[in-house]
This record gives sequence, structure tokens and C-alpha cells, in this order.
Amino acid sequence: MGYIKWTFWITFWVLVASFFHYTLPQHDVARITDTYEKRIDFGENSLFWASADTGNAVTSVNRDVFFIQTRLSNDNVMVYRNEDTGWGWPPYFKFDTTNLQAEASDLKSVAETPQWVVIKHYGWRNEFMSIFPNAVSVRAVDDPNVRMIPWLNITF
Amino acid sequence: MFALARLVVVGFFVLTIVYICLSLYSRSVRRDKLETEWREGGTEGANIEEFVQKGLEEYDGSLRRKLILGVYVIPIGIVSFIIYATNFM
Repeated sequence: MGYIKWTFWITFWVLVASFFHYTLPQHDVARITDTYEKRIDFGENSLFWASADTGNAVTSVNRDVFFIQTRLSNDNVMVYRNEDTGWGWPPYFKFDTTNLQAEASDLKSVAETPQWVVIKHYGWRNEFMSIFPNAVSVRAVDDPNVRMIPWLNITF
Repeated sequence: MFALARLVVVGFFVLTIVYICLSLYSRSVRRDKLETEWREGGTEGANIEEFVQKGLEEYDGSLRRKLILGVYVIPIGIVSFIIYATNFM
């Protein structure tokens, strides 16, 4: 009987922790290699996609989504999506998706002459479900070894 | 803009509930403090109901009660700051 209670509480806290890990912002240092747009049909993973740009129709089952392709400073690749969160959840109130795409495009670079950026994002990359983290902002930095203190995560 | 309207309506509803609960709680704390003050004496011989009533009327007009309206102001401030920080910084 004790095992059930213990299992329940562990599961509960794992869910709470993973919810916060998904929703709170994280920072990655990366080199943007490409930006593109792709039409996505939302299927089983539709929970992990945000909404259409605010002001556009919300009822479509597929739409074009911006992506930002990067190579991280630890040499793995990472692909971010770039979508409005608008007035909905999570409460990032992100409206400037198209502007962000323009900024990201401007910061593209090649391996020989890297332009490092810090990408603030939330969400997970899961290849099995084809879900991508949502980039919230990009900021150019000179040195890939910048030290970042996650103030919001700490206070929250 | 429908999503904004929805957020405003839900937010107003939730914040109103918080405001009402906070007001009632604050008033009951004030009432308890007035009763304790009367019991400790030195309140010019008034009886307890009149003393508490007068104290509550003073409280009703006080700044402390008006500050509870901050329950509406603070979330709007936070959301505005997030919008500025995410989109314009």
C-alpha cells in the first residue's frame, strides 16, 4: 500500500517538474545555419505546437511554420520552431515571430566564420514526436562561452 | 482580437474573485484587531459593537482598503512588461 502512495507522489512531482521544464525559458548558445518555412499538418503532436500568427485565422489544420536551424556550441544540431504564442499559453505574449525570423536570418553564418547567438526558447526537441522548442528571442554574442544566469527560472 | 477579449474576460473574472476574497479577509482581520484592542481596555468606555463599528467605518475609507485594488493593477503590469520584454527589447 505504501508503494502506491509513493508512486503516486513521485509521478505527481515528475509531472509538475516536467511542466515547468517545458514552459520556463532556457538559453542555448548556437550558430544559426539556416532559416526556413515548412507546412506542418498537426496530428498527434498538435499539443506541442502553438497557434497561428495573431490576427490570422485560427481554424486551419495545417499552416506554414517558421524554423531556425542551428548548430549548438557543443556540436549537436538543434532545430527550433518560431511561432506566435499570442494571448494564449504559455504566457510569453510573443507577437513578433516574423520580426524574429528576420533577425535570425540576418545572423546566419558558416563554420569558418561563426556568428554565435544566444537563443532563448521553451519547449522540447523530441525526434520521435517531431516536436521542436519555440525560439522566443535571439541575441548575438561574441564568445560562445558566455555565462548565463537564468534569473527568471531562479525567481520562479 | 478575440483571444485578447477572452483573456480580458477570464482575467477580470478571476481577479474579481481574488479581490472579493482578499477584501473580506482583510476586513475580518481588521475586525479581529479592533475587538482585541477593545478588550485590552482604554477605549473611552464605548461598548464593543459601537467601537468596532466606528473602527470599521474608518477602515472603509482608508488607504489600505484602496490598495487592494492593486490586485487588478499588478497582473496587468506584469503582462505589459512581458509583452514589452518579449517583443520590443
